[in-house]
Amino acid sequence: MTKCHCRNPLKPYPATIVKIIDETPDVKTFQMVFDDPAVMESFRQKPGQVAQLSVFGVGEATISITSSPTRKGILEFSVKKVGMLTSALHRLEPGSKVGIRGPYGNHFPYEVMKGKDLLFIGGGIGLAPLRALIDFVLAEENRGDYGKIDIIYGARSMDDLCFKYDILDRWPQMPGTTVYTTIDRAEPGWEGHVGFVPAYLEEINPSPENKYAITCGPPIMIKFVLQALEKMGFSDDQVITTLELKMKCGIGKCGRCNIGSKYVCLDGPVFYLSQLKQLPPEF
Amino acid sequence: MKAYTITRDNLGAWLDALARDYTLIAPVREEETVSLFKPVRGFAEINLGYTNSTVSPKGWLFPQTEEMFFFSTGGGQITLADAQTPGPAVLFGLRPCDIKGILALDPVFNGAYQDCYYQKRRQDTILVGLSCTRVERHCFCTSMGGGPTDGGGADLLLTEMDDGYGIEVLTPRGEELVNRYQQYFDADRENRVIPAREELGKKLAGQFTRNVDTTGVKEFLDQHFELPYWGELARRCLGCGICTYICPTCHCFDIFDQSPDGELGVRSRCWDSCMFSHFTRMAGGHNPRPTQKERVRNRFLHKLKYHRDRYNLDGCVGCGRCVTRCPVNIDIRQIIADLQEVARHD
Repeated sequence: MTKCHCRNPLKPYPATIVKIIDETPDVKTFQMVFDDPAVMESFRQKPGQVAQLSVFGVGEATISITSSPTRKGILEFSVKKVGMLTSALHRLEPGSKVGIRGPYGNHFPYEVMKGKDLLFIGGGIGLAPLRALIDFVLAEENRGDYGKIDIIYGARSMDDLCFKYDILDRWPQMPGTTVYTTIDRAEPGWEGHVGFVPAYLEEINPSPENKYAITCGPPIMIKFVLQALEKMGFSDDQVITTLELKMKCGIGKCGRCNIGSKYVCLDGPVFYLSQLKQLPPEF
Repeated sequence: MKAYTITRDNLGAWLDALARDYTLIAPVREEETVSLFKPVRGFAEINLGYTNSTVSPKGWLFPQTEEMFFFSTGGGQITLADAQTPGPAVLFGLRPCDIKGILALDPVFNGAYQDCYYQKRRQDTILVGLSCTRVERHCFCTSMGGGPTDGGGADLLLTEMDDGYGIEVLTPRGEELVNRYQQYFDADRENRVIPAREELGKKLAGQFTRNVDTTGVKEFLDQHFELPYWGELARRCLGCGICTYICPTCHCFDIFDQSPDGELGVRSRCWDSCMFSHFTRMAGGHNPRPTQKERVRNRFLHKLKYHRDRYNLDGCVGCGRCVTRCPVNIDIRQIIADLQEVARHD
């Protein structure tokens, strides 16, 4: 029996919420800092990874890390209020104490993406994990490694657009970056595109040449986005998505997030479409 | 490999001594029909006449409910304190299938993220196996690569003989334990122990009421995920989860907090079951395994394929507990046979 020298991976580190940004009526972005600066320094997440957030007394939930590792000293989690833990998080205020453990899971293959154009396709809160990679490739120290960046993002309504400061102001200003925004139904004050993300994607009709497409959103959006990408000639190895499954332990023990013999918390959440097609259809 | 013998009287004295020096976990008959492993104060509480405990002994290494740590949120600070873990223990009287069950749990709780709770208990626990003396009608360990006298994985293996018990030393840790209590043991001068155990093994091998052939089942499942068979099976399944609670290799758990006053609390984990509808249901309502069909399929694929894919070990050790206890007689041996049949007609 191997002796266990590790730190207990099921025990979170105390952290403090330093800022809360209201994104939409039911999504907030929480900026968090570990209470121990040494933990903050040693927490090295990669874009696409997740963490377990604790509200002590309520429990834990798996949340994707939405800030890029290029942004030091702070972690961001964008959380939609859907269940007990996320509702408890939404009730907290700046200064509140939480727990964080992780980072868990694999990450977007940013090494193999070097030299390629990137097409991001996000829907609703699905932009949260993509944002970690978008900000990573747009960071000054990495920007030269990647080609053109296209971001297609949609939500049900103007109110439901997350990260408005990024999609409407910051990202469009970045060199070699185009942001396409859409909402499902027209509403007063919106002068942009109207329609569902997969249809907008088909309108834009991006070429698959030298490109990776990275998508995340509600399951129904992903389904039609994958079909549209296939129609445009993207191969299964050029399409990457993240899977959301209920996770509890985050470390492949509790047996909850399996798809076949894979665990999303260890072997995912990031999968190439070619890998997804090898898995049983249970997600 | 060294072997010793011990008389029945000395076995009692040795177990009493073990109970004084260690936490001794041994089979106990709790009620008429329930036997289980639990801490005992001495030999008098132990029931060595059992064939297979109702609940598997995995609960010593992976308790049904286990406190992980305590938290305090007072004064605007979070303070975490580790829960107490038990010290040196002897898990006594393990049947060979249950030892194999522990070997199937080991890689789950090991790996890139070591589970400190399991690992600590596993390191601190000496495993003493006990060869079977009977074969129950639901036993099928020989079909799953085991055998009623295969003690592999234990530190010591005891086998009942005419005039007491034979003890085989299987690991250095087992040897240390024997050395510590050598006044109770006699050297196996006539080399009787191993032949006696082999003889018993041969005798018991002929007593299995049902042998199943697992050949090709995993390979068939590799190729076939959708089978109408799972739907038929699921129509009977009540989703009660008993199969997962008594299974020596099931390891699913839930994590939960309790904090009556909101400031002091404890985070624990407890056994959970993939047979339950909420197990994979997400906060937003999406459930990738929405009906009992998907859940039944997941459990049996886990036993017959997924565990092997991931750890190169069967997820079933043939203890037969799930067969005995299933209220609607779902029988994994029949499932294996049925899958063979489906494969033949494929």
